[in-house]
Amino acid sequence: MNQDKSEIIDQLRSIFQDTFTENTHEFSINTIRDDVEEWDSLSHIRLLTAIETHFGVQFDLDEIGDMTDVATIVDLLEEKLN
Amino acid sequence: MQDLPWLTTPPDDFNERCAQLAVHNTPVNEVCALAKYALSINQSNRLFQSTKKSNPEICAALSNSLTPFRLGVVSNATMDLMIPSMFTAAIRNGVYLEVINTDFGQVAQEAFDTDSKLNQSNLDAVLLALDYHAYTEFSGGFNPVGDESPSHKAFLYLQQIRSAFSQNGGMPCITQTLACPSYELAGNFDAQHDGILRRSLTEFNRALIEDIQNSADVLFDIAALVNMVGSNQWFDERQWVMSRVPMANAFVPLYTEYLAKLIAALRGKSKKCLVLDLDNTLWGGVIGDDGLEGIHIGQGHPVGESFLAIQQWVKSLKALGVILAVCSKNEREIALEVFRKHPGMILKDDDFAVFVANWEDKASNIGEIAEILNIGQDAIVFVDDNPAEREIVRARLPAISVPELPKDPSQFIRVLCAARYFEKIDFTTDDAQRNAQYMSNIQRRATQKTAANLTDYLTSLEMQIRFAPFNEMGRKRITQLINKTNQFNLTTRRYTEAEVLQFEEAADQYVTLQVHLQDKFGDNGMISVVICRIDGECWEIDTWLMSCRVIKRQVEDAVCDELVALARTHGICRLRGLYRPTERNSLVKTHYQQLGFELIDSDETQEVWELTVDHYQSKSPPIQVQQSLLIE
Repeated sequence: MNQDKSEIIDQLRSIFQDTFTENTHEFSINTIRDDVEEWDSLSHIRLLTAIETHFGVQFDLDEIGDMTDVATIVDLLEEKLN
Repeated sequence: MQDLPWLTTPPDDFNERCAQLAVHNTPVNEVCALAKYALSINQSNRLFQSTKKSNPEICAALSNSLTPFRLGVVSNATMDLMIPSMFTAAIRNGVYLEVINTDFGQVAQEAFDTDSKLNQSNLDAVLLALDYHAYTEFSGGFNPVGDESPSHKAFLYLQQIRSAFSQNGGMPCITQTLACPSYELAGNFDAQHDGILRRSLTEFNRALIEDIQNSADVLFDIAALVNMVGSNQWFDERQWVMSRVPMANAFVPLYTEYLAKLIAALRGKSKKCLVLDLDNTLWGGVIGDDGLEGIHIGQGHPVGESFLAIQQWVKSLKALGVILAVCSKNEREIALEVFRKHPGMILKDDDFAVFVANWEDKASNIGEIAEILNIGQDAIVFVDDNPAEREIVRARLPAISVPELPKDPSQFIRVLCAARYFEKIDFTTDDAQRNAQYMSNIQRRATQKTAANLTDYLTSLEMQIRFAPFNEMGRKRITQLINKTNQFNLTTRRYTEAEVLQFEEAADQYVTLQVHLQDKFGDNGMISVVICRIDGECWEIDTWLMSCRVIKRQVEDAVCDELVALARTHGICRLRGLYRPTERNSLVKTHYQQLGFELIDSDETQEVWELTVDHYQSKSPPIQVQQSLLIE
């Protein structure tokens, strides 16, 4: 299934809104981990699970280590989905 | 099964509804309604945060309206992620759960230190969330067996932990069997050779299950859970090495749901009754349209065999103590005919405690079934293939569990089984106490007369009795009792309503009694009828009957007391009782003997008993006479 960047970002936005309970309206491609107060190690696991479940993909250890900002997540998803 | 397919999917406005909780009119109902959905980890987290963290009032109210339970958790893994899902799953199952979590890997410290957090927290139970990683004996895959097998060493370690929590904290342990990872050394040999992981885990689980049965602890059979979902799906090595998460996160909802069901069962909140639709739920097709030959049930047809499997499952549940009922939109007689005549049916109509087939709405019918069985609506599971009926029942009776079903009947069983509605517990702290109570009751009975205990019991019922002669108000019910009572019926003489009226009016020839009984649980209505024919100085008891609902309650003693007292005021010397045996009234064979009558004559058709009124010793059962013919 081919998905372009904007579709992926839209779906990621709703996953972020599910994962984090506050201030998710500021979500954009430029959002990084430090911007989101709730983005700690525990919620990172929830985020990862939600992304993997939603898109039906699996990230490897290295990729998970890199997933500290939205732009990287979008790039990784683009690569896996297309 | 990780998506809990028997539950409905959360609505699109789930997040908004969580946000609105703080200003909701009935927040407790709303939290319970939101928890009923198949929630993801994120959704559980949101519901948990919006109730637990921001609303202390809601939590207090939830704790009051649900069953509170304090659960300690120790683990060799990170359990923090699961706490919100534990919370919501518990609410879904009627429990308000407080989790007291401990730091990763603090199992032994928490167990052995009498001052540890868990031992000092006054808990209802502690969850030992341990997987095979927790036991050093299982590391390395193959541990050649020395004096003791690895499984036995691990088992003894766990036993020490369990007894420490029992001694130091006074709480039972919810103890997990160990799932076996997809780990291979020598193929099929792994199951056969001592010291290899697969064999060790099998031995460990068997020993644990055996041991749990004889203890106050509770089994949480993770091996069975993983057997259902598959170990390659369950274990996620990435999560384990990164964050010591014990299994793939996608299974957190399922794990916590099963934990919650186990806890609910510990508190007696398992479902008691299975209410079933008929058409396309117990057989394929619609009996009203397709007829006996047209429906599919039984061997030789894929649809018929699918429904056969469901019936077999239902029949087995019945054997395990689940009450069965039918609630179907059908003509009753046509529906019953399937159970009586169709050769493919495993279930028979007498398997069901209540059989409701009519055209009323199902929610009202199920409400009535709950009343008839005298069980709470939250003890009922209603299974119906029709999504519209499911939706109506859910909306009208939110306490009832109504599983979603797949379209394909061959898949029904999977979903119904996975929903685990009928979790059973053998030994709990409550059960252990209950057992002790029963045991001491048995001992008491051995030393005391049974009658003493029976009297206590009967006294506790706070029975009140009312006697009246036949009258217009009672006439229909008197006639009904006369014509349908078979067991407690001394003469089984049937009379029409017109004849009953004659007894009522001929006060110079007959003495009549209608008896009403009430107790602390409610009004039993009219439960006994007596007709005496006046024969000079003797009253001959033409009819004496009683409803089976109130046998063994000494009601007949109270009736006899009344009858004798009444006879005395009329200057009557003797009462003559007749016993006419039938196939169904052997229950009252010794009735007159027990009341102190003497057998004076008997032949094949009847026995004649007599009582000299002056010799009668009042029985004075623990029943208060509220209205008597003597006082009026």
